[in-house]
This record gives sequence, structure tokens and C-alpha cells, in this order.
Amino acid sequence: MITTGLALPRRTFLRGLGATVALPFLDAMTPAFATAATPVTRVAFIYTANGVIMQDWTPTAEGTGFLFPKTLAPVEPFRDRLLVMSGLAHRNGEALGDGPGDHARAGASWLTGVHPKKTQGADIRNGRSVDQMLADEIGQTTPLPSLELGLEDVRMVGGCDSGYSCAYSNTISWASPTTPLPYENNPRRVFERLFGDGETTDPAARAVHARQNRSLLDFVVDDAHRLQVRLGAGDRRKLGDYLDSVREVERRIQNAERQERVDLPPVDRPEGVPPTFEEHVRLMSDLVTIAFQADLTRVVSVMYSREGGNRTYRSIGVPDAHHGLSHHQNDPVRMAQLQKIDQHHVAMLAYFLGKLQDAPDEDGSLLDNAIVLYGSSLSDSNAHTHDNLPALIAGGGSGMLRGGRHLRYPEGTPMTNLFLTLLDRMGVQRGHVGDSTGQITHLGTL
Amino acid sequence: MGPHFLSAIVLVPWLACGASLSAMAAQAPVGTSPRVLESTIRQHCLVCHNDRTRTADLSLAAVTSTNVGEQALVLEKVLRKLRAGEMPPAGRPALATETVTELVGWLETELDGASAASPNPGTPAIQRLNRAEYTNAVHDLLGLNLDHARDLPADDSGYGFDNIGDVLTVSPLHIEKYISTARRISRLAVGTARPRAVVEKYERSPGVPDAAVEGLPLGERGGMLFEHYFPFDADYTITVRVRGRRQTGMPSPQLDLRVDGRRVRLFDASFDNAEVTQGTRNFELRLPFEAGAHVIGAGFLAEYAVAEIVSENADSRPGPGYLVDYVLVGGPFNTAGPGATESRRRLLECHSAADTDGTPCASRILTTVARRAYRRPVTAIDIEPLVSLFREGQTDGGSFEHGIEMALSGVLVSPSFLFRAPGALDEDGTRTGRVSRLTDIDLASRLSFFLWSSIPDEALLSLAERGRLSEPDVLTAQIHRMLSDPKSSALVDNFAGQWLHLRNVAEWAPDPERYPHFDESLRYAFQRETELFLEHVIRDDRSVLELVAADYTFANERLAAFYGLEGVRGGYFRRVSLDGTPRGGIVTHASVLMVTSYPTRTSPVLRGKWVLENLLGAPPPPPPPDVPALPAAAETSAGGLRDALEQHRASPTCSACHAKLDPLGFALENFDGVGAYRTDEDGMTIDASGALPDGTLVSGPRGLQRVLLARRVEFVETLADRLLTYALGRGLEYYDRPAVREIRRRVEAADYRFSALVEAIVDSVPFRLRGNSELPPER
Repeated sequence: MITTGLALPRRTFLRGLGATVALPFLDAMTPAFATAATPVTRVAFIYTANGVIMQDWTPTAEGTGFLFPKTLAPVEPFRDRLLVMSGLAHRNGEALGDGPGDHARAGASWLTGVHPKKTQGADIRNGRSVDQMLADEIGQTTPLPSLELGLEDVRMVGGCDSGYSCAYSNTISWASPTTPLPYENNPRRVFERLFGDGETTDPAARAVHARQNRSLLDFVVDDAHRLQVRLGAGDRRKLGDYLDSVREVERRIQNAERQERVDLPPVDRPEGVPPTFEEHVRLMSDLVTIAFQADLTRVVSVMYSREGGNRTYRSIGVPDAHHGLSHHQNDPVRMAQLQKIDQHHVAMLAYFLGKLQDAPDEDGSLLDNAIVLYGSSLSDSNAHTHDNLPALIAGGGSGMLRGGRHLRYPEGTPMTNLFLTLLDRMGVQRGHVGDSTGQITHLGTL
Repeated sequence: MGPHFLSAIVLVPWLACGASLSAMAAQAPVGTSPRVLESTIRQHCLVCHNDRTRTADLSLAAVTSTNVGEQALVLEKVLRKLRAGEMPPAGRPALATETVTELVGWLETELDGASAASPNPGTPAIQRLNRAEYTNAVHDLLGLNLDHARDLPADDSGYGFDNIGDVLTVSPLHIEKYISTARRISRLAVGTARPRAVVEKYERSPGVPDAAVEGLPLGERGGMLFEHYFPFDADYTITVRVRGRRQTGMPSPQLDLRVDGRRVRLFDASFDNAEVTQGTRNFELRLPFEAGAHVIGAGFLAEYAVAEIVSENADSRPGPGYLVDYVLVGGPFNTAGPGATESRRRLLECHSAADTDGTPCASRILTTVARRAYRRPVTAIDIEPLVSLFREGQTDGGSFEHGIEMALSGVLVSPSFLFRAPGALDEDGTRTGRVSRLTDIDLASRLSFFLWSSIPDEALLSLAERGRLSEPDVLTAQIHRMLSDPKSSALVDNFAGQWLHLRNVAEWAPDPERYPHFDESLRYAFQRETELFLEHVIRDDRSVLELVAADYTFANERLAAFYGLEGVRGGYFRRVSLDGTPRGGIVTHASVLMVTSYPTRTSPVLRGKWVLENLLGAPPPPPPPDVPALPAAAETSAGGLRDALEQHRASPTCSACHAKLDPLGFALENFDGVGAYRTDEDGMTIDASGALPDGTLVSGPRGLQRVLLARRVEFVETLADRLLTYALGRGLEYYDRPAVREIRRRVEAADYRFSALVEAIVDSVPFRLRGNSELPPER
């Protein structure tokens, strides 16, 4: 029996409230449109798993005027806002003595640049991911510092990589080396997190509700402290992580209470997970766009797929499972199937870029002021290679990026050098990110 | 990691080790066991596993016959490799069978003895409740049967399960969701939610429309049945969406709407011509309901529901016949009040008028709730903060109930509820010794989360409080009571669902072009068969060997037809004999056969790996990247695949693993990618036979069954290993192996009864003791 709740009346749910009441998460927050005079940069990290067929991804020519290979064709309309980047690598995704498990390491290292500790469970350890470093700085004035989204249902069992806990494959965002951030895959839950579940609409009631939430958090903190002194070191550390999360939510509530109430664009409340992958991605893209527009968050990570994921894509004529196909053994038939998936994912990206382009923002569109990193942490999934990774950046980055180019960096240049550079350009000072060795050049210039 | 196993070749690390061993062909001398150990290690192992080479990061240089206990970490590995026949590796002089037998026996005895003398139970980590546990706990606490965890983030898994303490991390998103979920539950439970009309949609379970629905009258078809929670005494609308086409000459179909089994309306569900083109129509009824859970059913009287709607595709025109598409429940309207729900009855054991001090009554209520929710006796230290929350809620909301709602939210977000902390220090911070026994209170929780994925019930908790739970007779009786309770189906959903990968059945996507006969009703039947079978083994305390060799299963008409079984009519599942069929045991359940295949074809390698890993506890090492290509023909025909894999095995690097994997998988080749029996594939007769490395012939599913029964020691230990991992919520370590062997011996001695397995786990060192190494120094 499938149970799906839907609000009544669904289509006019928010509009019916006069389109002036925002109902963000915990019924306490109120989103605000950006009113800053200077453009705000929004950043999205979008992951496609299991590598790509590189010969259909990498443009032959470098610099400007390159021809779009088959896989990238769907984003050609955004040529002027695109940088295709070749040569970047994640050495920490390699085995480095840990044996098999390249898929888990790939997903885990994509945004961290750290070699994840090989464990099924005891002592999970990765690094802090770059989206979270950004959220620390540019996400502190928005109701949600960051938003983590994904398309796959992670309940499948038996599908995680050799000797690695599923935690490494199930997210690309890590708040700390020991705190992976689970993603939301249900658009309805995303909506409710952004706009509230509609339980309370009266401002006075909402204020009471927010204070009560703070009382509950205070209660939790006291209770946890009493429990903590009775625990062993490992358990105390774990409860410490729990308390960190509690404090972060306290901060979010306080932050939200300071926000001004403003109009929201009309949004339909989604019913749940749409039946097809394509509708699902589009709906998530719509929600991200509106979250950016309403300045509910400035940092987003999205997983179109997860490492080892076995979605089938019958809508584009690929009935075989993705990960299985990705071990194509250079069989042309399977490679062609895999390429279809690669291109299909890029087409989904094109939809999102189109939404950003159509959304007006200070001095232009959201796309002009966005940085969208799209890529995979494996290049050839068949051979599990972690270098020459597929990566592209879309968006103008508020003038920071100059698109229309294919940039080739020296082989083995750490992907984290790109992260370090982006952080630096956005005013976030970090000595290093993961295994970074310095900044890269040419992002904004020839 | 599954799929790249198709063509996996495994690099065998030990082959990289120096090759000057040809002179060492001599067998180990037969003698007393300690000498056998030392001489075998010297002659067969040290050449690779010495302090300098450390092949596979293992040195046996320090092992002597007198320090077995200290060397348990490496010797458990040695034991495992010896038993599995994996060492010495292919191409090296083999050990004589009697040497292996003697060594294995002696090592087991020595390791078990050393462990008994100085048990190491490991140190359990605190465990956050996972989603299933959270839902069950709220249900058992408040009597609210809803999917309470639907908003909570999905849980990560490790060691094959999603209840592993170290993996259940807490992110800010969890905290947000815990708070909003606790508040939603509390409002609903106490009845303080504000009436807000919403519509809930229930879709018909996938399946053929001509099947009778359990719970509806036998003569009804095309129907559905569901339980809905009505939050208030109020009016609600029930809207039944039906689909169908009037057959010429047939009378109007009769749609029967029922609440809690009683008919509330028989609709004359005639379709007029305009509606025929649409093929759908809504029937709506507004009814008063008492707050609480009610069962809603809707179906067509059978004579009108012709079973010819085959396509589930909404685009296609429906054939003649009628079925219920979905049901909407809307409301509440004209709310009369919160009503007398189960949760209000349980919670509000006393009441306090608005103008009196509600604190004494609130303390009473909160003491009852917190004790159950925290799974232990509570004291003023626990209750006072909750009473503060009560006061805040009462002041804000203006009623006693609002206070209870707020305090109940506190209980549900408290770490004492959300975390299991077995063996946390007592309040005074004391704990003596390196190892201590779990208290009865901790034992009660461990037991109930193990068998029920939920909190202890009153019987368990009060026995624990009186210190009687650990009395052997009491404990055994409780285990039997818990296993026969319907709540033990949590073992099927959460343990077996993950152990056997059954959870994947729901989302599996076989290629409809390759398997046109697969549909949603089969998917449902696959799942149900295995669930009922496992519940039977658990509740009826069957032999665990039936898991691999039962001569019966459970089927309804659809599944029976799919399996080629005669004489099964109707949608009800019943026990059926498998005599004279190729099936028997879970390996031949279509559910397992499907999730160990690719969407478009079978994979002997995946199935062989599944058997080795989950039934025999000998997971093959993962294949190296960049394996050479299989010829394209391997993809398209059964014979081609077999040929390719045989070539594979001809290479020594591949054969180490594939010689073990492939015959087990090929034995199941008579079942296609969704588990249907077949004798040929694409015109080629299927050869379901093969030989294991030791020469054992495996032919067909019966042959595989014989192999599994012959290797019952490994099977039972594997089952024990998996169930113990699940019971403890942590991965097993070398120091747990003696416990696993002890469990196996107890199961063997008790005719392999399932209850003996559970009792042995509950009595085991890691379940009953805890190490204190991580605890702060004693004060």
C-alpha cells in the first residue's frame, strides 16, 4: 500500500495564504529575498557517479571555440557561461594501499580531497567537504547554511563498496570528518524544509513555536550533558557530535528569527518523489532555483547518482544497471549505453542551468552570479581511474569566471586546487583543502 | 560491490610473493597438535607471512604453540583460511587433509579456551535509534501506528546492517527532523493538533485486479484495504476513484465501501457513455468517524469485476471490468474533539482542571512515559526538566494537554530516548573491572531491540527492574514469548531483509522486454513468500537448516502458477509442498534469484558470490580494476558466458576465486533473472553443473542444496555471525569468533532450532558482557 499525503487544496496551498506568508523549517524561519546591493554568489556542486566515457566528454581543442563533444552537447546553449576543465585529479581517491573500494573512495573524496578511512563502520573518518567550508562563510546569513539533495533512494542493501560503510557512498557533503550529511531525496520534504509544513501561519503562534523549539533544544543539551559524563571516550565523542548538531540547529533558529518576512514566489507543494528520474531531477532543480531566489540558502550539493548506484534508464533505452554497465570492459555496446547515461545527466544539468538563466538576479540572472561545479570523481569507471576527471563549471560567479573555454591543467593537478581557488575568490581564506598544493590559474582570464 | 564481478579476475596477493617454494613439497609431520602447528607454520606459511615480507600484511613469525591466546588476532585468520581451504594457495604444496582437520580442531579448542579464560566482549558504542526502531518505539509507546520516521533521513549502513552504532551519525538535519517529528507526534497523540483539513491518498497495492484482497469479503475483486489514522472525532470524506468499462449486457457494477469490516454503502457504480471514454469515476461519501485508526475497504462485487484489465498503464484504455484506482481520505470537518484515542487513553492516566495546579498529575504521566521511553527507572532528575517543559506548554497553550504535549516532545527528542547506551556508567560514575556484566535493565533493551526492533514492553521492563530477567529460566521464557509475538517480524524486515538483500526486491527493475511476464503482483508475491517463510521458521521454531533446504514454501495462486505448482487457487498465501520441484530453501526463492541477477540477465558470478558471502561466510576478495574484457558473445548466450568463465578459471589468477564462485552460481542457472524455471536460454540447453575446487560436483539447485547441507558448519556459523552482528549493532572482531563457534555448537546440539540460535546469542559473551576499556577512570 502506497500512502501519499497531499495538502488541501494542493495547487493553491501557498497562494491561498496570500502569498505573503513563508513557512520555513521548524515552523520558525522566514526566508528573505536578497536585498544586498552587491550580487550574491550561489554555489552548487552536482555529482554524477560511476565515471563518464571520457572520449565523448573531453573537447579536442583547448581554449575558446572548441567543439562540444556528444556528451556535453546538451549544455552547448550555455557555452559562454561554461568552463570545461581537464587534467584535474583526486589522488586521495586511489587505493594508497587500501585495496579495492574505488567507488566509495571516489564519492567520499570528491568534495573533501581526503583519503577516507577504510572501515565498514567503526571509526568512520573523511574530511570536511568544500561545500561546508563555503557554508561556514557564505551560508551564515541564510536560514539554511547549505542544502544537500540526492535522487537515489539509499535504502538498497548490499550495494556499498568493498570494506567501506555505505556512509561513504551515500553523501558527498561532510560537516566534519566524522559527520556525513545525509541528503533529502523527497521533493516534498525539501519543500517543507524550505517553506514549512503549514502547521502554523499566525505570526504570534509561530514566535511561540520557535521559542518552544529553543526550549526543547536547551532541554536536549542538558540531558545530553548528564548522559555524557557517564560514557566512555568514544561514546562521549559521538554525543559531542550530536551536541554540535544541536547547537547548529539552535543557531539556525536564532538566525531565522532575525529574518525579515517577505513575499515568496508562488510555489506548488510537491506530492512526493515523482515517478520518473527526469521529473524528479527537474523538480529538485526547480526547488534549488527557488531556494537560491528566495535566498534560503546559497550552497547546495546534489547527487544525480551515487557511486555504485544501479539505476536503470529505460526512458533513454538503457535497461541495464548503471554501475554494472560502467564496468564496460571496453565493449563498444556497453560504452555506448554508458555514454547515453552520461549525456542524459548532462541534459538534466542543462535544465537546471536554464532555470538559473531564466531567474532574474542583481545585474542579470542567477546563472550570471552562480558557480555550478558538475562532474564525477572517477573518469574511467571500468579502470577506476581517479585522474583526468570530468569537470565543468557553469555560471559567471558574479564576474569571477569567464566562460566559453576548455582549460587543460597539467596532469595530476589536484581537484582541490580548484576548490582552494574558488574559496579564495569568494573571500574564504583556507590554507589548504584536502591535498591541495596551491591555486589554479585562468578561471577568470585567458 | 556486485556487478563488476561478472568478469572478475582476482589478483591473488600471495602469488606475488617469492616463488622459491618448490623444494618444500614435504607434508607436515603427523604428531601432537602443538608440534603440527609450529612445523606447519614453519614449512608452509613463513615463506610469505614472515616479519620481512608480511604478505597480505600478515606475519606468523611470533606464533608458537604456547601463545595461542595472545596471537588470537592472526590465528583466527589462519583458522578461517585453513577451514576454507584457501591456504596454502593454489600452486603451493597442499596440506594433508588429516593435518588440516587436526590443526583446525586443535586451534579451535585452544582459541576458545583462551577466550573463556579471559573473555573480551568488546566495547559497545552508543546507538542512535534507526528509522525502523524509532517508528516501532513510538508505536509501542503511544499506540500510534503510523510511519513516524517518514521524515527522518535515511540511515547509513555498515557490516551489512543499518543498526550499527558507529555508523548511525547525527547531522543537524537529524536534529531538525527529530524536533519537528516529535512535535507532530505529540500533537497527534495528545490531541492538541489544530484541525486542518488535508487529503491523504492511498493507492491500490500493485497486483492483478482479480485477486481477492485480504480483509475484504472473498467475493470482492479489484479492491483495496488500508488503515487510516483519524486524528479527531469529526466528519471525513472518503473518495473512491474507480476505473473500468461497462461490458455490453452486464448490469451496473456494485461498489462496496466498508469501514472496520462493516458495509457503509453499496454504490450503484454505473458508468455513462461520457465517462466510459474517461474510464474513471469518483464516488464520495462523507461520514463521521471516531478518532483513532480505522480500516477502510473498497471493492467490487465479484460478478461485476471482470478480470480482464491487464495493463496497469494509465495511458491504455481499460478493458471490461472494474477496479479501485485509489482512495482519498479528506478531513477533518466539523471537528467535535480529540476523541478517545488509544494514545490519549494511555497517556492521560490522570487529568487536571484548568484552574488547578497540573504539576502532580503531569509528573505522574511523565514518569510513566519517560520510564517506557528511556527503558529504565526514572528519577526526579529525569522528570523535573520535563515538568518545566510541561509548564511552558501549559502556559503557552492554555491547557493541561498543551503542557503534556510539550513535555512529550521533550521525551521524544531526549538523548535518553534516541540513544541506546548499554553499560553507560551508573549515575555515581562507578564501574569496576575490565569487563562487566550488562545490567538487567540494559539486557532488556538489548533483547527487545534485537528481537523486536523496539523498546521493551512492560513485562520485560518490570522483570528487569526486579532484577529477575537474567535468571536463566526467566530469560528463556521471555525469549520464547518474544519470538512468538508478532513483533518478531522485525527480524524478518530488518535482519533478513538486509542479510538476504530482500529489501532490494521492492525497487528492483528487471527489463520488461526481457522479462515480460514479470509484474507488480509477482513482485509482491516474491516478497510475501520469503517473508512468510522466514516468519514461519522464527515463530514455529523450525530448524535453521530449512532456510537452505525446506521442502515447502508459501504461495498464492499467482506465485504457484509462476513456480508451476498445481492446485493453488486464490490470492491467499498458504504453505505448499515443493516435493518433486527443483525448488527448496531461500536460494530458490524468486526474490533472492531476482536480486542476485542483472536487470537483463542472470549472473552466475553474482549468485555464487551471494551464496559464498551470505550463506557460507567466505566472501571472495573483490576483483581488481581493469579486468580484461569478456568476449561479446558472453553477454548474449548462456553457453557463451559459461565458456568465457571457463577460460577465466583456466588462468591461475582468476581460478582462485572463480573456481569457488562459478559452480555455485551455475547450479542456479535453471532460474532466469526473475527466478522463473527454464531449461534453455535462447535455444541453448542450460548446463547447471560444475565442480568445486575439491572435486565436489554441484548440479542444479538440488546439488547446491546438498553442498550447503554438507557445509552446515559454515552455514550455521555464518548465520550466527550475521545475527550476532545485528544483535550487537557492531562489526564482529577476531575476539568474537569463539562466541560464534560456541553459538554454532549450541545450535547443533538443539536440532538447529531457531530459538536455540537466539538463546545462544543472548547467552554469548559479547551480548551479555561489556568491556570497560573506553570508560573514564574510576572515581
